[in-house]
Amino acid sequence: MPEWPDDVAEELRQHLDDQYRELRAAGASHDDALRAMADDVNAVRSRRSRLRPELIAADVRYAFRTLRRNPGFAIVVLLTLALGIGANAAIFSVVNGVLLRPLPFRDADRLMVIWGDLKRPGLNDIPASAGEYVDYRDRSHAFEQVSAYDTVGFNLTGGGEPERVEGAVVTTTFFSLLGASAQAGRTFVAGEDQPGRDDVVVLSHSLWTRRFSANPAIVGQTIPVDGRPTQVVGVMPAAFQFPDRSIEIWKPFLLDAEALSDNNRGSHGYTALARLKAGISRQQAQADLNAVTAAFKADHPGNYRNGFGATLRPLQEEIVGDTGRPLMVLLGAVAVVLLIACANVANLLLARAASRRKEIALRTALGASRGRLVRQLMTESVLVSAVGGLIGLGLAAWGVDLLIASAPDSIPRIQEVGVDARVVGFTALVSLATGLLFGLVPALRASRAPLNDALKEGGRAGGGGVHGFAGRALVVSEVALSLVLLIAAGLLIHSFTRLQDVAPGFDSSRLLTFRLSLPESRYTTFQKGQSFFDEFFTGLRRRPGVRGVAATNALPFSGFGGSRSFHIEGREEKRPEDQTEEQLRIVTDGYFAAMGIPIVTGREFTERDALNQPRVAVVNDAMAKKHWPHESPIGKRVSFSTNEPHWYEIVGVAGNIKHRALEAVDRPELYVPYRQPLFAGWTVRPMYVIARTSADPASIVAIARHEIARVDPDQPISDVRTMDERIGRSLSSRRFSMVLLALFAGLALTLAAVGIYGIVAYSVTERTHEIGVRVALGAQRRDVMAMVVGQGMTMTIVGTAIGVAASAALARLMSSLLFGVSAVDPVTFVAIPLLLIAVALAACYVPARRAMRVDPLETLRSE
Amino acid sequence: MQYIKNRMLDRELKKGSAELLILSLLEDQPRHGYDLSKLIEARSGGVLKFRVASLYPLLYRLEKRGWILGRWIEKAGQRRRRYYRLTPAGANVLASQRDTWREFVLAISRVTGVEHA
Repeated sequence: MPEWPDDVAEELRQHLDDQYRELRAAGASHDDALRAMADDVNAVRSRRSRLRPELIAADVRYAFRTLRRNPGFAIVVLLTLALGIGANAAIFSVVNGVLLRPLPFRDADRLMVIWGDLKRPGLNDIPASAGEYVDYRDRSHAFEQVSAYDTVGFNLTGGGEPERVEGAVVTTTFFSLLGASAQAGRTFVAGEDQPGRDDVVVLSHSLWTRRFSANPAIVGQTIPVDGRPTQVVGVMPAAFQFPDRSIEIWKPFLLDAEALSDNNRGSHGYTALARLKAGISRQQAQADLNAVTAAFKADHPGNYRNGFGATLRPLQEEIVGDTGRPLMVLLGAVAVVLLIACANVANLLLARAASRRKEIALRTALGASRGRLVRQLMTESVLVSAVGGLIGLGLAAWGVDLLIASAPDSIPRIQEVGVDARVVGFTALVSLATGLLFGLVPALRASRAPLNDALKEGGRAGGGGVHGFAGRALVVSEVALSLVLLIAAGLLIHSFTRLQDVAPGFDSSRLLTFRLSLPESRYTTFQKGQSFFDEFFTGLRRRPGVRGVAATNALPFSGFGGSRSFHIEGREEKRPEDQTEEQLRIVTDGYFAAMGIPIVTGREFTERDALNQPRVAVVNDAMAKKHWPHESPIGKRVSFSTNEPHWYEIVGVAGNIKHRALEAVDRPELYVPYRQPLFAGWTVRPMYVIARTSADPASIVAIARHEIARVDPDQPISDVRTMDERIGRSLSSRRFSMVLLALFAGLALTLAAVGIYGIVAYSVTERTHEIGVRVALGAQRRDVMAMVVGQGMTMTIVGTAIGVAASAALARLMSSLLFGVSAVDPVTFVAIPLLLIAVALAACYVPARRAMRVDPLETLRSE
Repeated sequence: MQYIKNRMLDRELKKGSAELLILSLLEDQPRHGYDLSKLIEARSGGVLKFRVASLYPLLYRLEKRGWILGRWIEKAGQRRRRYYRLTPAGANVLASQRDTWREFVLAISRVTGVEHA
C-alpha cells in the first residue's frame, strides 16, 4: 500500500491535525507536541512509494484538481507559457520552413549549383555561358543531369490586356532534373532547344488560373509570346515555383550555333544546375568538375586568360542565402522570452509553494518521500507546460499566418512555412523542457520545507527563506534577460530611424514608376524604340497631373543596374583588365529634373543631345571625386570602345543617389543619353518609365496605360509602383526583424514587470504583520513605501546592471544588423534601461500603495 | 521492556486482532478514525495504540472488503469527517472473529496458566 487514495490522505491529515491540537490544548509546547507525534509521523513517512503508471495518472489527476482550485493562478501561468511557447513555435516554423526543411524537389540534397570563377576580382560566383553549360553536361561523369536557366521577362498579348510576366528560359532537362512533371500536358522534350522547335512554353499554375481562367483546353493552343505565336505544351502544379514564385512561364533555352559560338562563351548568364549521381559525394563531384574545367580551359584559352574554376554549392544553400542570421537572432530572442516566461512561472510556483507548504509537509508526514513529492510537483509543472504548449501551438498556427502575410519578399521559401510534424515535435520538446525548467527549483525547495513549519498554524515563519532568495534571483535574471532584448530591439529601431532619415538623393514623393519592355521582334531598330518613347512621352506629358516624364534602364530601388567598362581619354590602360569599370545608366532627357536629382555643375541631357550631335555624358559626384579628384570633370571625355571610339564629353555633374538600398555607399555612376546609344546596332532595351505627378501617382497608372495603348496597344507595363513603395520595400526585411524583435522585447518587458509585481506583492502580503508593527511603532507611510519600492528596485537595478553588461558583450552579434548606430550606442544603452526602470517602478508602486494602507490595528488584532 | 511489549502488541494487532478491535468499536455506532484511535487507546488503558500509518490504510482495506462503510459527514461549523459504520457482512465477520479470538485466548491461557479475567 504505497499510496493512499485521497480519502485516506485527508483522514490522515485530519488525524495528525487533531492530535496536534489536542496536545497543544493539553498544554504541550509546539515542539513537545511534534516530538510526541514523531513516531507516527516517521511511521507514515517510512512508507515509501515507487514509480508506477497508476501513480503518474494519480499525480496528473491531482495536478488537475489543484489547478482547478486556483483558476487565477492557472490562467496567468497558462497564458504566460502559451505566449512564450507560441512565439517559439512560430519563429521555429519559419526557421524550419526556410532553413531546415528540404527543398520541395525529389532527392533535393543531390541538387547543386555550379558557379564559375574567372579569377579576377568580383568575378567569382558567376553563372555559366551556354558553351560552358554544354561542357558541364557532356564532359562530366559525376552528375545524373545538368541543366541551365536564366530568368527573363515575356510580353503576353492577345486576348485581354497585354501583360509582362516574369519567366525563365530553361534547358529541356530542367524539369526532369528537379523531378517535376506537368499537372496538365507535358514539360519540354529533347530537341525543343533547337531553332524552329523552341516556340513552346510551359505555364505556371498561377498564370494559368489568372490569365487563362484555369482553362484546361489551353494546352495545345497557340498564344502570342513576345509577339511570336507560341504553343502552350503544359501547365505546372501550383507547388512548382522555381527559380522562385515570381516565375510564371518557362520557355526552352535556344542552344543554336550562335549561343554556342566562341564569341558567346564569355557571356555568362545561365545558372547551371546539376543533380549528383546517387552515391557520389560533393567532393567527388567537385574533383570531376575540376577535370572538366581544366579540359575546356585548354580548348578555349582565349576566354580564360586569368584562369577559370568551377565550384559546386548545394541548391538549398543558394536559395536560403544569408537569411539565416536574422532568423537565428529572432529565434534567440523568442528563446529569451521563453526563459523569462519560465522565470515568471517558477516565481509564481515558488510563491504558491510557500502557501502550499502545509499541504506539502503534511504529504511528507503522510509518507510521501521527497522524490515522490518532487515528482508530484513536477507532474504539475509539466502538465501546465503541456497545456500551455498546446495553446501556444494554436497561437503559433495563427501567428505563422500573420508572419507569412507580413514577411518581406526577400525571405525565400516563406510560402513553404507552416506548422508541420517537426514544429509540433519541437513545441512538445520545448514545452517539456519548459515544464522541467520552471518546475524543478520550486519543487526541490518546496519538498525541503521543514515539517515543523508546516504544522504551525499560519506558517508565516520561514516563508521568506523558502521564497526569498530564489525568487529574487529569478526576478533579477528576468530583468537582465528582458533588458538584453529591449536593447537589441532599441538598437534595431534606432538603426531603422537612422535609415529612414537617409535622403535617397532624389525626390521620392509622388513618383510613379513602371517597367516597359518593347519586344525586339517588333521594335527591330533602336530608332523604332525611340520614336515609341517620344510619342508616348509627348502624350503623357500633355495629361493634367503629370509634371515630368522620363525613362532609365536602371531605376533606383528596382533591383536593376549594372556596370560597364570604359576608358578615359588620355589615360591609356596597359592591360584590358585594368580598364575602368563603373555603374552605367542610360536615361532619357529630362531624367534628372523628373527624378529631382540635383545637377551640381553643368547641365543635364536635353532632346538636342541626339544621335547626330556631339555625344555627352553626366557623372555623379562620387565618380567626379574618384576619377578627377583635383579638377573639374566637365569637358573630359570617355569612350566605351577602344577600336572606334565615340567620345562622350562630360557636360554635367549630378548629385549622388542611393541606388540599391538606403544603407548602400554612394557608388560612382556614369549617365549617358538614351538618344546616343553606346554602339551601332543598339536595339531597344527594357526601360523603367518614371512620371512625376502633382496628385496621387496611382491615379496616373490608367492614364499611362491609355497613352501607351494609343501608340501600341500590345505593350504591357509591369512592376508598377510608386518610388516611396520601392524604398519601403527595400526596408521591409529590416522592418520585419525590427517589428518582431520589438514585439518580443515588449512581451519580455511585460513579463518582467509582472514578475517584479508578483514578488513585491507577495512579499507585501507576507510582511503585512511586520509592516503593521513598523507602522504601529511610528514608521511613516513613506518609509513603508520606500521599503517596499526599494526592495523591488534593488532587484531591478541589479538585473539592469547585468543586462547592460550582457548586451555590451553581445554587441558583436548585433553589429552586422545595424546601420549608423554603434552596437554599444550610448543613447540606447541609457534610454532603454531608464524605460525598464520606469516600468519596474510602476510595477512596485501598486503593491507599495497597498503596503502603505496597512492598518496596524487590524494586523495586530488578527494576530 | 516497554519497547518489546509494544512490538509484540503491534504484531498481534497486525495479525488480525486490529480488525477485530475496529469492527467491535463500530458495532454500536458509527465513528470516525480519530475517535477510533482514541477509543482503542483509552479502553486498553494506553496499552494498545494504533499508528496512524496503519489505522487509515486498515480502514480503507476493511471498507474494500465490504465489512465497513465510510461516509463523509459534514456538520455546521466543523470540517467534514469520515464516519464508518459496520455492514451486515462486517457484523458476520465480527461474530466469527470474536469466536476465533475467544478460542485463541482460551488456548493461550490454558498453556501459559494465565487466568482468564
